[in-house]
Amino acid sequence: MFTYKLHFIKPFLRKLFVAAPLLLLGSVAAAQQTGSAPAPSIWDNALALTMLLISLVLLLVIALLANVVLGTAKLHFDKQKKSGTAAKIVSILLLFLAPSILHAQNAAAEAVAPAGPSSIGGLTPLTFWVLAGVIAVELLVIIVMGLFVQRFLAKEKIAVAAEEGIAVKTKPSGFKVWWDKLNSFKPMEQEANIVLDHNYDGIRELDNRLPPWWLYGFYVTIIIGGIYLWRYHVSETAPLSKQEFEIAMKKADEEKAAYLAKAANNVDENTVTLMKEVTALDAGKAAFVQMCAACHGKAGEGSVGPNLTDDYWLHGGSINDVFKTIKYGWPEKGMKAWQDDFSPVQIAQIASYIKSLNGTNPPNGKEKQGDLYKENGAAPATDSTAKKEVVIK
Amino acid sequence: MQTEKFYYDNKIVKYFANATALWGVVGMIAGLWVAIQFYFPAASLDYAGTTFGRLRPIHTNAVIFAFVGNCMFTGVYYSLQRLCKARMFSDTLSWIHFWGWQFIIVAAAATLFFGFTTGKEYAELEWPIDIMITLIWVVFGVNMFGTIFKRRESHLYVAIWFYIATWITVAMLHIVNSFEMPVSLFKSYSWYAGVQDALVQWWYGHNAVAFFLTTPILGLMYYFLPKAANRPVYSYRLSIIHFWALIFIYIWAGPHHLLYTALPDWAQSLGVVFSVMLIAPSWGGMLNGLFTLRGAWDKVREEPVLKFFVVAVTCYGMSTFEGPMLSLKSVNAIAHFTDWIIGHVHIGGLGWNGFMAFGMLYWLVPKMWGTTLYSKKLATNHFWLGTIGIVIYAIPLYWAGFAQAEMWKTFTESGQLKFQFLETVTNIIPMYITRSVGGTLYLIGAIMMVYNLYKTAKKGSFIANEEAEAAPLAKHASHGKEYWHRWIEKRPATLLVFSLIVVAIGGILEIVPTFLVKSNVPTITSVKPYTALELQGRDIYIREGCYTCHSQMIRPFRDEVARYGEYSKAGEFVYDHPFQWGSKRTGPDLARLGGKYPDSWHYNHMLDPRSMSPGSIMPNYPWLLDNDLDTASTPAKIRAMQTLGVPYAEGYDAKANKDLMTQANGIRISLKMDKIETPANKEIVALIAYLQRLGKDIKAEKKTETAAAN
Repeated sequence: MFTYKLHFIKPFLRKLFVAAPLLLLGSVAAAQQTGSAPAPSIWDNALALTMLLISLVLLLVIALLANVVLGTAKLHFDKQKKSGTAAKIVSILLLFLAPSILHAQNAAAEAVAPAGPSSIGGLTPLTFWVLAGVIAVELLVIIVMGLFVQRFLAKEKIAVAAEEGIAVKTKPSGFKVWWDKLNSFKPMEQEANIVLDHNYDGIRELDNRLPPWWLYGFYVTIIIGGIYLWRYHVSETAPLSKQEFEIAMKKADEEKAAYLAKAANNVDENTVTLMKEVTALDAGKAAFVQMCAACHGKAGEGSVGPNLTDDYWLHGGSINDVFKTIKYGWPEKGMKAWQDDFSPVQIAQIASYIKSLNGTNPPNGKEKQGDLYKENGAAPATDSTAKKEVVIK
Repeated sequence: MQTEKFYYDNKIVKYFANATALWGVVGMIAGLWVAIQFYFPAASLDYAGTTFGRLRPIHTNAVIFAFVGNCMFTGVYYSLQRLCKARMFSDTLSWIHFWGWQFIIVAAAATLFFGFTTGKEYAELEWPIDIMITLIWVVFGVNMFGTIFKRRESHLYVAIWFYIATWITVAMLHIVNSFEMPVSLFKSYSWYAGVQDALVQWWYGHNAVAFFLTTPILGLMYYFLPKAANRPVYSYRLSIIHFWALIFIYIWAGPHHLLYTALPDWAQSLGVVFSVMLIAPSWGGMLNGLFTLRGAWDKVREEPVLKFFVVAVTCYGMSTFEGPMLSLKSVNAIAHFTDWIIGHVHIGGLGWNGFMAFGMLYWLVPKMWGTTLYSKKLATNHFWLGTIGIVIYAIPLYWAGFAQAEMWKTFTESGQLKFQFLETVTNIIPMYITRSVGGTLYLIGAIMMVYNLYKTAKKGSFIANEEAEAAPLAKHASHGKEYWHRWIEKRPATLLVFSLIVVAIGGILEIVPTFLVKSNVPTITSVKPYTALELQGRDIYIREGCYTCHSQMIRPFRDEVARYGEYSKAGEFVYDHPFQWGSKRTGPDLARLGGKYPDSWHYNHMLDPRSMSPGSIMPNYPWLLDNDLDTASTPAKIRAMQTLGVPYAEGYDAKANKDLMTQANGIRISLKMDKIETPANKEIVALIAYLQRLGKDIKAEKKTETAAAN
């Protein structure tokens, strides 16, 4: 159909999906990066992204605080002074934004320059300190603003107390104060001022503001969304499912190799020997009853699978062959491979237990299948084909 | 201005309310029954209709479409009339809607019982019922908009925005997801295949939760909660922002049901990020509900109706926070396919939907019968019983899900899987037992409510037509400057169109590229269409609802690859109409089952699973051994598949049954060699053929590759 014509859509959409939230983010650097080749850039660095995220969250906190400062200031200053404060705050915000823009340009520069030998967490010292500086400045702004709010509120309290001519009475609990502020609740007494003229079958609506933490939380999730898409699909610094799988498998192989290297567990079909200790045979029996009996019968007499107590074997009767059969299975004939279920020692135990069943002649034994095998006899006839199969596997 | 006198239609509300209570109890009993089968497989009664695979869809369809559906209609028919200051547009349409919907429910239960299913979760109903649903939904829409257009209130209240968005989105979801190719009156194949079918299905499935279980109930909350609390709605602005944000973002989140599957990574990532962004819009509804109760918390202590609403809204908040958390890939890797998800949906189902319905009924019945509630104490006891029931239901399942996932993923130091699948199941059986205790408490509560409401109705007298008065709507509204959203609120058609645009965007941007961009589903040449016998066997697999317990999707995890084989690829499913990836692993994954066990193992296992794997909780399927395979349907099925683009040779439909018998005979002989005598024309033979085919294609490719290399 149209498919081949639309090949270009995927990369295009990729960019679109990422660009949209980033626009919300207002990041200048994003645009500079999208076109460039996947050279090592600041965007590939987890530390940088974390710091950037922190700085953005702090920015939101600042915006939130600025609101509060404006609100409290309003109570105290006349119009003229208030606009002065607003201007002050705007200039503070600009002061903050300036370094972040600067830093974005820095980042672009860093992307081109080869990474220097001395780095902090994979970042050049300059970038690191710029980012750290931005965060520090933001923290400072927050502290200053917090002090402002505290001062305004303290004044307000005194003023109210003076006006009413009484000492501050029945203080509400700290939690309630915090809770009301968090949601920017209007006191219940002032509710009449914010009732809208809507009336639907007697239901009225209030004109309350959006709870600030909710609104800024919404922004944060959008920012996280943007960064997520960026990391997985543009900078490609976070592993997608298949890469994650490869990483996990590599790690597992290393761990397994390390364990086997030092463990006495390292037995395979070439080195396995018949075990005769009672503990080993009991362990083999337990596993046999649990997993093998379903097909081979509780006593090895055979049902769906062949009889394991007679002298006839489909895939060889030596301890090495039995071990191999259990380990790799014969999937075409219904015998599954057990190497992911049992450790090599366990397989050796099961194989030894099976060998110990020879000649027990349980009731309901299945008819003989395969070739006659005698201990220390000639190599089983199927041996050569078996080897080939294993290679194919 | 002269006021007009008119009458609200309470009779239709009463009927829908009765249906809500009836289907609620029926759906919960079905749920309890399937819950018991987890630890007592004999509760399937060895009878096809009552076996888990068929009863579970009956449970889900009953509670979603019958219980919550009727609850939605009860609330809408009551509140819409009052919010529009008008009687319903047409009594005839109201009754067509009511009886049509009840007929659909009965038809759904009957067909599912007999095994007529499309095999797509929450959309199992076959094509004639799909068409009926569409028609009745249109009737509902016409009736709703008719009422809105003749309203005596200039603006639409937020509840109505939610009703409108619900109506248009459910229509869109239902129609797109139900595209199917009929084979016979009660058999069809999904139009889409494999990865694409999965994406469409979960776009639908996720948004059925969003627009059938969430938005309409939010609408009900916006009417009944302020009414019951006698408080103004907390914030009009919050209503606006969370409404539009919710309906826009919700639609995108469907792919979070398919994380780590063969769905393209970009679609998975969109599912993740939009789920995260969904927290705030969802919580907007919760906050507006809970904050409306500011200054009325003393009433909550007295009034069972408000108690139900508070817990409902809180459960809504919990599950809409948990949902996005479950969408994070690292959490999803643990929770998906386990009982954690079952716990999660029941917080929403029992807590949010159930408690909203109960609260609404407790408020509505005394109002419509002009009396007071028969027993407040009984209602309060119902509340506590229900709440404790939810806790006892959910916590064991969270535990079970987490414990089982951990066991699945545990390896021994020497690199072997530590636990057999069955061990991980038997380990959590105590949790299954506890869960059914919680469910029982909840059900007892619901029965107490039915009794209480019955007694209430008895002591009052029903007001079938409630008198009301209002001035007619002025023809020309003022053209002065007004808040932008007030402008939309006066224009229902505009609101409808805007809603449609907003909800269509996410779906289009996710679905269209998946269909058109070829790289999303890379071709695997060794993947071939099913043989006729396998196709018949697959239809039996679908009919018995095997997908309700078995997945066919191996995720790229170390443990899954070790346990089941190579992880699943998008190209493997191109002939799967419908896909059968499943969403829950009560039993092991079956994607690469083919060749793992002999035919005779499957035969014995279907007759009595415990004979082959002691301790298994799978039901017996004795009827498969007795039923004759319906080979008459083979040609029609092949032709339907050809229409859907499956490359069977021209004219193969006529020859298919010959091939079918050859393959069936082969299986008959292989069974005979293991001392099992069965005629070749039994259903079990077809099912074995299908099970032995699973995952074979890609294994074949491996072999040819190795051979070529040699």
